Amino acid sequence: MRQETLRRLISLVLLLLLIIIFSVTTDSFFTGANILTLLRECSVIGILAIGVTMTIITGGNDLSCGHLMGTVCMVFAHLYHYTALPLGVILLLCLVTALLGGALNGICVGLLQIPDFVATLSTQFVFTGLTYILAVRNQFGQIGAVQINNKSIIALGGQIPGGIYLVTLVFLGLAVLGQVFLKKTKQGTYIYAIGANRKSAEYSGISFFKTKMTAFLFSGFCAFVAAMFTLGRYRSNEVATGQTFALQAISATVIGGAAFSGGRGDMAGTVIGVIFMQVLRNGMRKYGFTTQTQAVVSGIIIVLMLIFDAYYNEFMEKRNKKAVASLQEKKGVKANG
Amino acid sequence: MDNTMLFEMKGIEKIFSHVHALNKVDFQVKKGEVHALLGENGAGKSTLIKILTGVYPKDGGQIFMEGKEVEISSTHDAAHLGIAVIFQELSLIPTLSVYQNVMLGKEMSAFGFIKEKKEKKKIEELISYYGFSLGVNDIVETLSLAQMQMVEILKALASDAKLIVMDEPTASLSSHESELLFNIIHQLRKKGVSIIYISHRLEEVFNLSDRITVLRDGKLEGVIEKEDIVPSQVIRMMIGKELSEATASRPMKKSQEETVLKVNNLYSPGSFRHISFEVKRGEVLVLTGLVGSGRTEILRSVFGADPLQEGEIWVEGKPYKASIKNALSQGFGFIPEDRRTQGFSPLLSVTKNVAITNYDKLSSGGFVKGEKERALGQQVVEMVDLRPANPEVAVGNLSGGNQQKVVLGKWLTRELKLILIDEPTVGIDIGAKDEIYEMIEKLSKQGVAVLLVSSDIAEVLRVAHRILVLREGEIVKEFCEGVVTQEEILMASSGFGEEGEEEENGKE
Repeated sequence: MRQETLRRLISLVLLLLLIIIFSVTTDSFFTGANILTLLRECSVIGILAIGVTMTIITGGNDLSCGHLMGTVCMVFAHLYHYTALPLGVILLLCLVTALLGGALNGICVGLLQIPDFVATLSTQFVFTGLTYILAVRNQFGQIGAVQINNKSIIALGGQIPGGIYLVTLVFLGLAVLGQVFLKKTKQGTYIYAIGANRKSAEYSGISFFKTKMTAFLFSGFCAFVAAMFTLGRYRSNEVATGQTFALQAISATVIGGAAFSGGRGDMAGTVIGVIFMQVLRNGMRKYGFTTQTQAVVSGIIIVLMLIFDAYYNEFMEKRNKKAVASLQEKKGVKANG
Repeated sequence: MDNTMLFEMKGIEKIFSHVHALNKVDFQVKKGEVHALLGENGAGKSTLIKILTGVYPKDGGQIFMEGKEVEISSTHDAAHLGIAVIFQELSLIPTLSVYQNVMLGKEMSAFGFIKEKKEKKKIEELISYYGFSLGVNDIVETLSLAQMQMVEILKALASDAKLIVMDEPTASLSSHESELLFNIIHQLRKKGVSIIYISHRLEEVFNLSDRITVLRDGKLEGVIEKEDIVPSQVIRMMIGKELSEATASRPMKKSQEETVLKVNNLYSPGSFRHISFEVKRGEVLVLTGLVGSGRTEILRSVFGADPLQEGEIWVEGKPYKASIKNALSQGFGFIPEDRRTQGFSPLLSVTKNVAITNYDKLSSGGFVKGEKERALGQQVVEMVDLRPANPEVAVGNLSGGNQQKVVLGKWLTRELKLILIDEPTVGIDIGAKDEIYEMIEKLSKQGVAVLLVSSDIAEVLRVAHRILVLREGEIVKEFCEGVVTQEEILMASSGFGEEGEEEENGKE
């Protein structure tokens, strides 16, 4: 079986196992309302994780996506509070901000060839700084939260008739879109190619800059979508919004099987990873674990997954090598004899 | 094969900082022929190929493709003219499928969406046309090396290549896989595709080629038609007769000293098998062979850098388990093939690099004794005659030869039983080479057993007390008495062994 498919199956089995354990040991886990809440809670991280997945497959990373989302939220809050611009214009300006943020990452990594980790760690500060500059202040100059009362934005926090939250729907929709992009389009193929073997991809005429830019623009777009749903859900905004989201999105992506070394991973894996992390958190809450304990357990699980991945990849590599070698030897003996 | 010329290079010149790498070389390839390019390391083969494929610009001469003069100033130009290269290190994307790899960068698409069906159909047609054993959806990393090569060839064919350059294509293939490749080459030839074939394995070169061009020291030595191929003569053309005699070895001999290292029946799947040998005190045993013969892998396994599947190792008569930790505590030194990435820390000074392997002697209570450290650095600088003679200079800033001296110096200061050395003089100028050989001799005189891997035959002859020749992971010949010549080693390692000698005797 294909290495990726097997890996996917393993994480899916783990997820199902976790769901079964929580369903059997607690009464309140496997209920319609809880499942819907659970999905809602992980959807914003999930949307960011879709963008992060793109950048990880190119062999990079995006540590700044949560901070960029925070900036976009603040652009909205700022314009909403201080101006009378129509919603459409505000949304457009938010989108432009998000794409500019993505483009900044794309330029740093693709054009200036700064390693993704360093580049996006630096832009984190840029985005956070901007958020503070744009923050809404009261008459004493203190930063405060902004209430958002716009009906359309509030509607984003809502459910569709089946009870499923709009944000979950958009998360899954974006995942499908991302998957189609990765598997069916030229640019998608190039994202894998650059991530798995940059040199030979470039020899085939693929532009490193363009490919990195595509991934980061995608991530920027995801930050915009995530920002709008965050506003819709909380109906207010503050400066700290999104500051911890990037790491959550990255861990979910890695749980889903994307490799930091690049060239591996896809949206199906990321969706599984996102839901896995949330099921874990939700279940632990049902057990009455404190937030701190939850964090410790989640951290341990991520480390275990990474260890597993390292062993798994080495194991698969050896298996491939061995299979090929034994084939060679058999034939070699025949040909020599 | 018709007789029209596909490709011609006339009077090609290339100069690298005063060295005439190519001196007025003519090279012609006919339509649908397999044309071998032969020459020793440094004869100018790869330079010529790099000019042909647009990697290097030429410094003089003309290039014609199908009768028209052309300029090849980039790899793009070459690809555009229908020239494709199958590199020694394959350049595929491991996580993508066969069809994605073949079409990479030249996808059939509409609005950015790949026309998968159309692409797959085209490639399936090519696969069945040439009879490859491949599926279009196979993921490249699950394929064997031979299959990966097929994918590379498909890539060339899909872009309508007229001329395919194959650089050591059988280096890492089994004999069965090589046969498959030869079949493919025959079919390509039938379809009118021309092939430039570069290989150290003379047997296959002689069997496959329609013509052979031999280069020596950057000059054209001769072009030989298939009918006129006489193996021993071709080898002499490559080596140059006078040179061959001048570089005969000192007499080989079996050492009577005590055994330091003994290995029995070492096996590692896909790399080597049935490997048994002994190294004595003060002996320099050389393992030689072509790329892919398993020489480096054996060395790494003995040191413990690579795992060993089967086999026994004894050190001074006691059973021994290979691991880096055991190797160091037993007094083994290791000088790896790629010194840049494995041999030293370029940013650290000579002193620090040398001190790293000696901190047990240089520190107390976890603190380094600076004075002792500096003294050691100074000692090594004098011992290996480092230039510049400054122990504080960062090793990365030294010349290749001096870097290697530092690596050797690291081990010279320790009391060694055995030193494992892999290709000690790759990329090092001739003067420094001599000094390194002298250092190896010095080590052997001190009673250190030396196990050395080298593909440079002149070097093998210079340093060896005894030689083992490897081919496809097995020891095929041992030279342990009398004088050895370059020709003999070349014959043994390229699979000509006994027949070759007989033929030569018949001639003289």
